[in-house]
Amino acid sequence: MNDPTPGNGVSRRAFFQLSLGWLAGLFAFGASAVAAVRFLVPNVLFEPSEQFKADKPEDYPDGSVTFLEDERVFLIRKGNTFRCLSAVCTHLGCTVNRAENGFHCPCHGSVFDDQGTVKGGPAPRALTWFLVTLSKDGRLLIDKGQPTAPEQYFVL
Amino acid sequence: MNASPLKQLWQKFQRTRIGRSIFRVGLPDSNLERSQVMVSSFLLHLQPAKVNKHSLRASYSFGLGLITLYLFFILIGTGVLLMFYYVPSTERAYESMKDLEFVVSAGQLIRNMHRWAAHLMVLFVVLHLCRVFYTAAYKPPREFNWVLGVALMLMTLGLSFTGYLLPWDQLAYWAITVGTNISGYAPIVGPKLKFLMLGGNVVGQPALIRFYALHVMVLPAVTILMVAVHLWRVRKDGGLSRPDEPGNVVAQVELSHLPTNKTYGLMELARGTTPQVGANPEDEVFSWPHLVFREMLLFMFVVAVLLVLAIGWNAPLEQFANPIHPPNPAKAPWYFLGLQELVAHSAFWGGVGVPTLLVVTLVLLPYVDRQRRGTGRWFARERVLANTIFSICLFVAIVLTIIGSFFRGPNWSWQEPWKKPPVATESH
Repeated sequence: MNDPTPGNGVSRRAFFQLSLGWLAGLFAFGASAVAAVRFLVPNVLFEPSEQFKADKPEDYPDGSVTFLEDERVFLIRKGNTFRCLSAVCTHLGCTVNRAENGFHCPCHGSVFDDQGTVKGGPAPRALTWFLVTLSKDGRLLIDKGQPTAPEQYFVL
Repeated sequence: MNASPLKQLWQKFQRTRIGRSIFRVGLPDSNLERSQVMVSSFLLHLQPAKVNKHSLRASYSFGLGLITLYLFFILIGTGVLLMFYYVPSTERAYESMKDLEFVVSAGQLIRNMHRWAAHLMVLFVVLHLCRVFYTAAYKPPREFNWVLGVALMLMTLGLSFTGYLLPWDQLAYWAITVGTNISGYAPIVGPKLKFLMLGGNVVGQPALIRFYALHVMVLPAVTILMVAVHLWRVRKDGGLSRPDEPGNVVAQVELSHLPTNKTYGLMELARGTTPQVGANPEDEVFSWPHLVFREMLLFMFVVAVLLVLAIGWNAPLEQFANPIHPPNPAKAPWYFLGLQELVAHSAFWGGVGVPTLLVVTLVLLPYVDRQRRGTGRWFARERVLANTIFSICLFVAIVLTIIGSFFRGPNWSWQEPWKKPPVATESH
């Protein structure tokens, strides 16, 4: 800015030099910040599959509600129909316990009925129902990545 | 000279060539040396050569900020020691806690000290905040230091949270689960933030190593830096707040108003108020020994209390993390139970809304409260409205914490502590 032109105060050369300098600096800083944040987002996850196989349908007696521990779901058989209800509370992710006529969450006191509908407490949504099908080897196949409507069930 | 043998020995050492190379000024014997020792020693120069008598009154500050700082030092020391044994792996973490308890010499003691210092630090940060509020010490020129203090309180809570996740016991596992799910309720960025914190979709090894990196490196480094600025600002803003502050009467000189055709010394350019401006010499005493010895005494007191707590009460360790079932009831440490009580009504308001509102209010407070009087006095009468509002908020927080701590039983149901809890019926 050795020769400021009257009127705007900054010469053309100084203007371009300043703009280029600021742009280059902001770009370098911004790109580094983006790279750092992106670095923290993993590309490969070593997590269990959302699909899993339960036992054969005949292993679950009529009218039973079975808690599958490792998968944190309830497998419910009524007559020849099978349904699978998530045991993960929709509030903050604790495992709900089975109680009479429904489920209770031990962490913050949410109450669900036996259809997973919220009956009390802070839970914002009903418990999730998952898709149940039959795998080729005759065992029940449950997909925790596929929520379904509560009235949808698998018929043997 | 009737100096003690120890002092004589020390003075003899200081007169040797080695002693003189280390200590530039010996143990002071005159007022000149008392000033010199404060500016010629690295550790002592962080403090002024002379200090206002008002700042030394224990009934004014109660040393709350200093106690917090000492607890932080002890946490760094014990924390670094714990790092020599702790392994941040979901398989080894719990076992290394057991090793510390049963195998490592003094392992239990170090862990207990770390844990007690952490809990006390949360308590004293809050007490320090209350002191600064009730003495109106956040008013100009100390607004920004108040904001830094609020940020440091958040860092303390962040360090506590990331810390109690590391043992990978039941408390840790379900606290990560609940905590990261709360972050999922944040508007717009919530689900992405949750994924970033967990390093995936489920609670596991990636989450543990992330919280470990935060706990032992990122948060302490940022906290140390902020503590440094916080303490530096205490001095630059004129020392501890007091009623007769020179800052209230001496107008500040704007640099732009000074003539530019002369050379200035550093003293002339320094802006703002220093403790010396407009101060009466008779109000001031030498920091050595009046301030330094009080500080050392307080440090010894803090260490002593901490040792008693660490020897008397063991840090709890719950069962190994069980991803299938949370404990019933699943309770956070006491300082989060007020929030947990709110979360049990609404995850958004308890976990995101109310905390955000509180922090924003605290940060804006020194800029919104324009009343300039009342600084340096406890419960000043001019501030009866502000003090009442603050006290009500504090009271609500304490009541919520007490309810969360003592009045909640299985399934977070209402449970008077003097009644026997019902047998938890858990059938799966």
